[in-house]
Amino acid sequence: MNKVWIIARHEYSINVRRAGFIVMTALVPILGIIGLLASTFLGGQVPAFLESQFASMPSKIGVVDELGTFTPILPAYQERYTLFGDEDAGRNAVRQGDVTALLVIPTDYVNSGKVMIVSKDSGLTAAKIEDSSSARQFFVDHLLRDQLDPALRQRLANPVNPVLVNLADEGGAGGKGVDAIASIMIPYFLAIMLVLTIFVTSGYLLRSVADEKVNRVIEVLLSSVSAWDLLAGKVLGLGALGLTQVVVWVGSALVIGRFGSVLHDINIPLLARPEVFALCLVYYLTGFLMYAVLMGSAGALGTTMQESQQLAGIFSFVAALPMIFAGFVFANPNMILVRIFSWFPLTAPTAMMLRIPMAEVPTIDIIGSIVMILLATPIILWAGSKVFRMGLLMYGKRPTMRQVWRTIREA
Amino acid sequence: MNQEMLKLSNLVKRYDGFTAVDHLSFAVFEGEVFGLLGPNGAGKTTTIRAVMDIFKPDEGDIAVLGHAPAEARAHVGYLPEERGLYRDLRVLDVLVYLAELKGTARSVAHKRALSWLERVELVEWAGNKVKDLSRGMQQKVQFVASLVHDPQLLILDEPFAGLDPINVGLLKQLIRELQQEGKTIVLSAHQMNLVEALCDRIVLLNRGQAVLYGNLSDIKEQYAPKTVRLQTDGPANLEGLPGVVRIEPRDGQVSVLTLADGSAQDVLRALVERGVVLKTFEVGTAPLEEIFISVIKEGSRE
Repeated sequence: MNKVWIIARHEYSINVRRAGFIVMTALVPILGIIGLLASTFLGGQVPAFLESQFASMPSKIGVVDELGTFTPILPAYQERYTLFGDEDAGRNAVRQGDVTALLVIPTDYVNSGKVMIVSKDSGLTAAKIEDSSSARQFFVDHLLRDQLDPALRQRLANPVNPVLVNLADEGGAGGKGVDAIASIMIPYFLAIMLVLTIFVTSGYLLRSVADEKVNRVIEVLLSSVSAWDLLAGKVLGLGALGLTQVVVWVGSALVIGRFGSVLHDINIPLLARPEVFALCLVYYLTGFLMYAVLMGSAGALGTTMQESQQLAGIFSFVAALPMIFAGFVFANPNMILVRIFSWFPLTAPTAMMLRIPMAEVPTIDIIGSIVMILLATPIILWAGSKVFRMGLLMYGKRPTMRQVWRTIREA
Repeated sequence: MNQEMLKLSNLVKRYDGFTAVDHLSFAVFEGEVFGLLGPNGAGKTTTIRAVMDIFKPDEGDIAVLGHAPAEARAHVGYLPEERGLYRDLRVLDVLVYLAELKGTARSVAHKRALSWLERVELVEWAGNKVKDLSRGMQQKVQFVASLVHDPQLLILDEPFAGLDPINVGLLKQLIRELQQEGKTIVLSAHQMNLVEALCDRIVLLNRGQAVLYGNLSDIKEQYAPKTVRLQTDGPANLEGLPGVVRIEPRDGQVSVLTLADGSAQDVLRALVERGVVLKTFEVGTAPLEEIFISVIKEGSRE
C-alpha cells in the first residue's frame, strides 16, 4: 500500500507541473474573470446578452399575406416586417438582401398553421423564427388584432416566464428571476468540463504508461513493485489530479460569483440543485476509474505512443458517444437513445453527467446506471490489470487480440 | 562466504510452446561475482526476470536471499538489459523515486544518490534532465539507480554494452569495489575478457539449459586445451614436437601451439634439444571465448 502512495504522489507531482494541465485548470477562472468584467460593462445584461447570442432574430423580415389577416402590419412591427404583394417580389428581396427571411402565410394558415419561410441559409433562420418569442407575439397580435387586452395577448404568445425560487434564499429578497438559457447552459457547460477532465487525466495516464514502456523504465519498476500497485498508484495520483482541477474550477466560480452580484444568475442554478452535483461527482469518480484502467491497459498494449493512442481512441470514442449526441440530450434529455447510453456502463458516466443538469432524470435511470457501473468496474479493473501486466513486458510487438483474450481468460 | 544468495532449482519457463528456460539449477554464493553467460536467446533475461519476480516460472523454485522473490525485492538491485529512464525528469529525482519504490526513505535515498553520483563523476548533472545526458552518462545513472537502495544482491544484465573504454574501466573498478564491500553480484555480459577478469564462478546457458557451471578456473582447467605461446629468435622448425596438434603462426616469429595431452614441459625440452633459441615461452590456456564457442557448437551438433 505504501508503494501505491509513492507512485500516486510521483504521478501527481510530475503531472501537476505540465503546461497543458496548468492552462486547462486556469481556463475556468480566467473565463470567469472575463465574464465578470464583461458583465460589469454590460450592466447586468448577461442573460439578455446570452439570449441575443443564442437566439437572435433576423432584423428584417418580409411577409406575403395570402390570408389577408396580416394586412396592414401593425405600426409596432412596421420597422422589422415589410409586406410584399406576391411571393416573387418577396423572393427577390431575399435574394437582394433587403430582408433576411420571407414569411409566406397561405390561405389555410388558420387551420394548418403552415408558414413557408424563405431564406438563403439552410433552416437556421427558420429555426430562429420558430423559437423566437417576438415572432410569436407578431402572429398573436395580428391574428387577434385588438380583440383582447394587450396583456392577455402577450401571455398567449409567451405563456410561461420561469421564475426559479431558491428555498434557501426565500427569507431574503425573495425569488429571483432566472433566465432559462442561463440555468441550463451553465450546469451543462460545467458537465462538459467534467467530462473533459476525465478524458484529459486518463489521457495523462495513457501517456505515463506508454512513456514508461517506450522508455523501458517499466522493467525496473516491475522489479520493485507489482503491476497492480503500479496501476493503482497511477489511477489514484492522476485521479487526484483531475479532482484538483475540478476543485479549482468550482472554487473559482464561487469566489468570482461573490464579487459580481450579476453572476448570481449563474450561481443560483449551480446551488439550487446540490443533488445534481453530488450525482455528477459519483459519475465523475466511477467514470474516471473505468476510463483510467482502460487507458492504462491501452498504454500497456501499444509499442509506441502512437499505437497506444490509436487503441485508446476506441475507448475514447465510445465514452464520447454521448457528447457526440449531445444535441439530442439537449433537445430531450429523456429520449430513448440517451437512456440507452445511460444504462451502458462505458457511456453511462458521460451520458448521465450531461443529462442530469438538463432535466429531472427518472430515478430508475440513475439507479440503473450506477448499478451497471458498479457491476462493470470490478470486471474492467480485473481484466484491465491482467492485460496491463501482460502488455507491459512485450516490447517490439503488439500482442494479438487472441493473446489478450487468452490472458483475460487464463487469469 | 557459503551462504546462498540466490538458488534456482529446476526452473522452467515456456512461452507459447517454446521453452525459454529448461530445468535450470544453479546457486550464487555470498560475496562472489557470478557470471550468467550464454549466446543471445539462451534464456538469460528470462531467468533474470523470473528472479526479479517480473513473472512467475512455470515450474521450479527460486530462492532469493532465502526468500520467495517477491519478498526479497527490496534487497536486490537490477540493471536491465532493456535500458531506460524517465527522460523528462531530473537525474536526482529519478534516482530518489526508484529507490523509494524499493522501500528506501526519501531523505536517505537523496543522500545516497548524491554520493553515488559523485562516485561515477556525475554529481554536477544531478539537477539536469535525463535527456540532456549523453548515452554513456545515462547508462551510468542507470547503474547507480540499481544501487541507491543499498541492495545485498545486484543483478547486472549487460552493464558494459555501449560504454567507451574509459567507462568500462570505471564500471569494472566499481564492481570490484562493490564485491569488496560484501555485495554479491550476478553479471551477464558478452565481453569474455571482462567476465574472466571479474567472475569467480559462472554458468553458461544454451537453449535454456546450463551447459557449463562452476568455478571459472576449474572450467578453464577442465575444458581448455593447453596452449603454448612462444617467440623464437629467427625462423625455426616447429614441426613434429611431442603432443602438439596444431601450430598457428603469428606475426614476428610468434607461434601458438595447441597441445593434445602431453605437457608443455615436454615441448620445451624438445625445443632445447633442437637448439631453437627462444625469446619467450608462455604456457597459457585458451581464452574463455573459445571454450564457450566450442561447447556451444558441440551442443548444437547434437
